[in-house]
Amino acid sequence: MQDTVKAWLENGTIDVFLGYKKVDNHPLPHCFTKARLEELEDLVVSPDRYPLEKIATHMTTAKPEVKIGMLARDCTQRALNVLYIWNQLDPEKIQTLNVNCCPSPLKEKADCSYLRPATVGDYKKEKGVNNAALLEQLSEYGQEERLGRWMYEFQKCIKCYGCRNICPVCFCKECSLEHEDLIKTGALPPEIPVFHLIRAVHMAGRCIDCGLCEEACPMDIPLRLLYRKVNDIVAQVFDYKTGTSASQSPFNILGDSVTLEPKPIQLTGTDS
Amino acid sequence: MECKLVPSICSYCGTGCGLLFEVIDDQIVNTLPMKTHPVNEGKLCIKGWNLHEHVNSFLRLKQPLIKTFGRFIKADWNEAIGLAADRFRNIIDQYGPDSVGVLVSAKITNEENYLAQKFARAVIGTNNVDHCARL
Ligand code: SF4
Ligand code: SF4
Ligand code: SF4
Repeated sequence: MQDTVKAWLENGTIDVFLGYKKVDNHPLPHCFTKARLEELEDLVVSPDRYPLEKIATHMTTAKPEVKIGMLARDCTQRALNVLYIWNQLDPEKIQTLNVNCCPSPLKEKADCSYLRPATVGDYKKEKGVNNAALLEQLSEYGQEERLGRWMYEFQKCIKCYGCRNICPVCFCKECSLEHEDLIKTGALPPEIPVFHLIRAVHMAGRCIDCGLCEEACPMDIPLRLLYRKVNDIVAQVFDYKTGTSASQSPFNILGDSVTLEPKPIQLTGTDS
Repeated sequence: MECKLVPSICSYCGTGCGLLFEVIDDQIVNTLPMKTHPVNEGKLCIKGWNLHEHVNSFLRLKQPLIKTFGRFIKADWNEAIGLAADRFRNIIDQYGPDSVGVLVSAKITNEENYLAQKFARAVIGTNNVDHCARL
C-alpha cells in the first residue's frame, strides 16, 4: 500500500493522497504529499471512517485541477460514483486505492466501525426502531405501530444537522433543511416527521448506504435504515441502484432530461 | 495544495467534544467530529459542527473596542484594561465591592477559574462568583 502511494506521488499520478494516519493512537484522516513522503510509514486503513470524498470535494473547490488519490472502501467507491454522476468530482482526477471492506465472498465480516455490534436498550426495543433491523423485519409491525416507532425515534432529534454535514453525497449549496418555508428556523426540536422525511426524500437516488449519518447522530436514530427504505423504492420503481448504476439518477432535474424510464409500478410495502 | 486535518477541542461548552478542523491552504473550511474521541465518539451538537464559522466570521472581534459617545472605537489592550480598571475603582469606591460580580466559565481551565475567583475575592473584595453552568 505504502509503495503504491509513494509511486503515485513520485510519478505525478496524483498530487495528494487522502488516507489515515495514526496520531497518538487515533486514526485521523490525513493528506499525504510528495513533500513529506516519510509520513507514508504511518499510513493506515482506519476502521473509523471519515468522509474522505467530502474532503476531496472541498479540495477540488479550492483548486479544481488538483489530482487526488484516496483510500477507498466499498462505500467510498459508491460515494465517488454518485459524486461523478452529479459533477461534483472529475473521475479523471481521482485515483483510488481500494481496500476490501464490506462483507463479500472473500471476507465474511467487514472491518469498519459500522459493523461493531450495537447494543439496543430495553426502552428502545419496546418503543423504537432497532438500528440493525432489516427492512423485512420492520414490515412485520402493523402500519400504526411502525409509524409510532418511527415517531419515537424522530422526536429525539436535536437538529444538529450532523446527518447532513457528514454525508459524503450531501453537497447542495442551499439545503432544504434550512429552507424557512419547510423547516422553521430557530425552532427546536424540529418539526417531525417533516424534517426527517425531507432529508429522506432528498436521499432518494443519492444515499449510498455508508451509514456515516447514523454514526454521527447523537440520538441514535436509525437513519441508514430510513434511507435504505427510500432507495429500495427507487430500485423498485426506476430500477436504479444508487452508487452502482453508472447513469444519472432519475431525480436529476438539473440535467437536460430524465434518462431513466420508470418501471411499471408494482409497489409492495412502500408504507414504512 | 495543502490540506490538513487539525485535531482540536470544541470551545463552546464544558463538554469539550473532540473535533477536527479541515484546513485547506491555510483556510479553515469545515469541522468534523473526531470519531475516536472518548467524550463525543464521533458526534457533535449544532454549535460544534459550525465552529469553523466563527473563526472565519467577519464579525469576529480581534482587538478591544471602547464605547465612546455611543460608538465603538478601536483601542489597544493597555488602554482598554486601564479604562476597565478605572471604572471598577470608581464603582467600588462609590457602591462597595459587593456591587461587582465575577462570572467564570466551563470552558476555561481550572487554573484560570482559580485565578478568577482569587481576583474576585482578593482584588475586588467580594464573594460574588458564579458560573455559567449554574445560570
Ligand atoms: S448512509 Fe447517510 S451519510 Fe451515507 S450516503 Fe446515505 S444519507 Fe449520506
Ligand atoms: S444527526 Fe440525528 S439528531 Fe442530528 S439532525 Fe440528524 S437526525 Fe437529528
Ligand atoms: S460540540 Fe456541542 S456539546 Fe460538544 S463541546 Fe461543543 S458545544 Fe459542547
